[in-house]
Amino acid sequence: MSVAGNWRSLLKKADGSAGSARGRRSAACLLACVVLGPVGGGAFAGAQVDTPTAGDLKQLSIEDLMNLEVTSVAKEPQRLLQAAAAIQVITADDIRRSGASSIPEALRLADNLQVAQINAHDWAISARGFNANLANKLLVLVDGRAVYTPLYGGVLWNVQDCLLADIDRIEVISGPGGTLWGANAVNGVINIITKAAQDTQGLYALAAAGNELHEQAGIRLGATLAPGVYLRAYGKYTGLGQEITTSGAGADDSWHVGRGGFRLDAEPSAPNRLTVQGDFYSGAEDVPATGGAGLSGGNILSRWTHATPGGASMNLQFYYDHTHLSQPFAASPAAPPFFSGFPAASLKDDLDTYDLDFQYHFAWGARHKIAWGLGYRATHESDEDLSIVRFAPTVLSQTLYSGFVQDEIMLARRVYLTVGSKLEHNDYTGFEFEPSARLQWNLESTQLLWAAISRAVRTPSRYDRDLLVPSGLINPPPPLQFPASFLRGSPDFVSETLLAYEVGYRAEIGPKLALSVSAFYNDYHRLRSTTATPTTAVYVFPYPVFFQNNLEGETHGLELSASYQMLEWWRLHAGYDLLQEHIHARPGAVDATGATNETADPQQQVALRTGIDLSRDLTLDAAVRWVDSLHINNGPTSGPVVGTVPSYFELDSGIAWHATRSLEVSVMGRNLLHAHHTEYGFPAPTREQTGRSVFGRITWGY
Amino acid sequence: MGLLRDTATRRLWRRLALLLIAAGLLGAAAPVSEYQLKAVFLFNFAQFVEWPPAAAPRENAPFVIGVLGKDPFGADLDDVVRGETVNAHPLAVARYHNVAEVRDCQILFIAASELAQLEGILAALKGRSILTVTDAEGLTVRGVMIGLIRQDNRIRLRIDLQATKASNLTISSKLLRPAEIVGSGG
Repeated sequence: MSVAGNWRSLLKKADGSAGSARGRRSAACLLACVVLGPVGGGAFAGAQVDTPTAGDLKQLSIEDLMNLEVTSVAKEPQRLLQAAAAIQVITADDIRRSGASSIPEALRLADNLQVAQINAHDWAISARGFNANLANKLLVLVDGRAVYTPLYGGVLWNVQDCLLADIDRIEVISGPGGTLWGANAVNGVINIITKAAQDTQGLYALAAAGNELHEQAGIRLGATLAPGVYLRAYGKYTGLGQEITTSGAGADDSWHVGRGGFRLDAEPSAPNRLTVQGDFYSGAEDVPATGGAGLSGGNILSRWTHATPGGASMNLQFYYDHTHLSQPFAASPAAPPFFSGFPAASLKDDLDTYDLDFQYHFAWGARHKIAWGLGYRATHESDEDLSIVRFAPTVLSQTLYSGFVQDEIMLARRVYLTVGSKLEHNDYTGFEFEPSARLQWNLESTQLLWAAISRAVRTPSRYDRDLLVPSGLINPPPPLQFPASFLRGSPDFVSETLLAYEVGYRAEIGPKLALSVSAFYNDYHRLRSTTATPTTAVYVFPYPVFFQNNLEGETHGLELSASYQMLEWWRLHAGYDLLQEHIHARPGAVDATGATNETADPQQQVALRTGIDLSRDLTLDAAVRWVDSLHINNGPTSGPVVGTVPSYFELDSGIAWHATRSLEVSVMGRNLLHAHHTEYGFPAPTREQTGRSVFGRITWGY
Repeated sequence: MGLLRDTATRRLWRRLALLLIAAGLLGAAAPVSEYQLKAVFLFNFAQFVEWPPAAAPRENAPFVIGVLGKDPFGADLDDVVRGETVNAHPLAVARYHNVAEVRDCQILFIAASELAQLEGILAALKGRSILTVTDAEGLTVRGVMIGLIRQDNRIRLRIDLQATKASNLTISSKLLRPAEIVGSGG
């Protein structure tokens, strides 16, 4: 309909309905441009094509203007083109077309992330490296709620989920964001932003089934409760089949998780807006022997936004989050006389987080835009004592308070300098200071050059400070003795620090090509090391191994991504990531793992994606990725033993049919090239492989 | 050759040829630059919106289209308004870094860079007869009078009648007819 309408109205213009002679000529010229355009841009790339001038466009009616097609390759050109950071945005449309059924799968769409699947439900995800098993340098926020666990400073990816159709976008920033977001925003920040309730009205339903994604079902209902008051409620269930190990055995990691939640958006009076949202979830492995790993929890968040007549705006946000984690350990049979064995048990961690955040934005004079904020967070975490792992103290309550101020200064018409810092206080290390300076130069409306220097810190987690892996089960033969623990945190573990230097360039070159390049040099100090106790006559082994801050070094790299709208119905995307890491023990210090324990990262990654609109109702998408080999250590107690995960190619592809405006039927395939491939883990018979996944999906609504 | 010298016939032939090409390409259309098009929309708003006398430009003063925040238009907006007038007032473009600078301005385009401060901006403009326009999408943009919404590679208009009425602006039916109307002001 729109195509026909387009031509009808343009031809009507050409027929002279515009009235003036100038209007007639311009409209005809525009029509010619419009018609010849695809030829010039596509099949005969060398052909000279006039693009319509402003004068031409001014002759058209509003209806005609609304019928003109625009292309801009960057889907959110403004926000992307105007951010002085290595930011990539995953849009709702990207997610839908990719066939992702979980947030980690959707994150594969960001070229500036390292994403590796560990088993059916666990993932290692980081930016700019340090994608260790317990990756701890990435901050992840869901609608403003930090979702990392202070247990080890990482993210429990298997429960960070929602109805993917409710996601407005995911912003992935590689590089530090400590000035705004505080500790742990060291190597990157992921902002998962869901749609407002008014944008998810009506019914949406989803059902999918396949070989790896056994079943997934979701439903959302959105309603208007009163004028200006909107609510949605959703539920989602996912069942994942088990993967297999290198030895071919079933990995016993099949996973099922159910969740539900709501979001309410209201505007009680004009300059006020209120959002209240919450989720609850419960997921578990289905493992008869040990009971399986399990996670459950819930959260509730409220945010109030208010604006003053003077042009200032403020946000007040509060959330409460409860996370329960249960990690089983299989029984170990006794091996007399030295080892008494231990029964099957589960480490149970319960975390309550209360977070209060206030932000204030205002303009000062003609050149300054100032933002400041205050934050307070209280956590209460308890970990059940086990014979094989414990945290001391068992129960820990901590508080964190912070303040930040940031000023965006307009130096010249297209040159902006943003300076600011966060100052925060935590119970482990006291005050931390995270300043940054960003310079942005909009060369043209479609080109941006930026540079930044930032300091970021990773404050200690419970793992770094309070971990204790006891060795009391081992009875060495006299006169030998054994230390009380294998591995322990250190009370003197301090914050890791980063000084990051970044430059970037982002441009739309013509109407078809969008390009982004960023380069970084990261200078790390006081990174986590594992230090072995010198072997003495008393101890058989150099145990205990404990954590210190003896590593330092630098990483540098390049992130490149380009999108090309080859034809109106054919879009191409390429991404490349280069990362070089030079981490070593600081002079005079030793690391038991030879500085290999933190950096299980591919040196290079390549992603190629294509999206084709086969017809108005049929879309075909494919994504190939190549991930370089990565070198992975066998854990902090095993010395400098490094294994390799081989490099791999994989392909995701899907075809979707929009049967009606509301109904979409699709077949999606993930990891199609191999029956099984390995993405992560130290080589061992128990290392898991990711299997080829094919599923069908039906969605109703939008 | 005599046939081709006849301009009317030539025009017909040309149109027929264009139509054939158009049909052959399944109606694929050459794109125009997004911000060039949006600049033309802003220019049109100057023609199709009526400001109360107090808010119209003073004598000999220009009719000002302001851009608040990081300007996405580059030279496009300047090109579009160059040499144009509205009710004998020359059109001019002003650029503002923050809302405190916004003074004598009839149309204000709020760039997506200002999304975080949108509530404050709208509160600051409250009661002033400035036509607010934005193309910031994604987050809930409420209270901005005209939204330039990108949908299927086309630009749609979303007009908040409640907001325009509160500011005593009268919008021509030429704008209203093709637009999506929100707000209960109608």
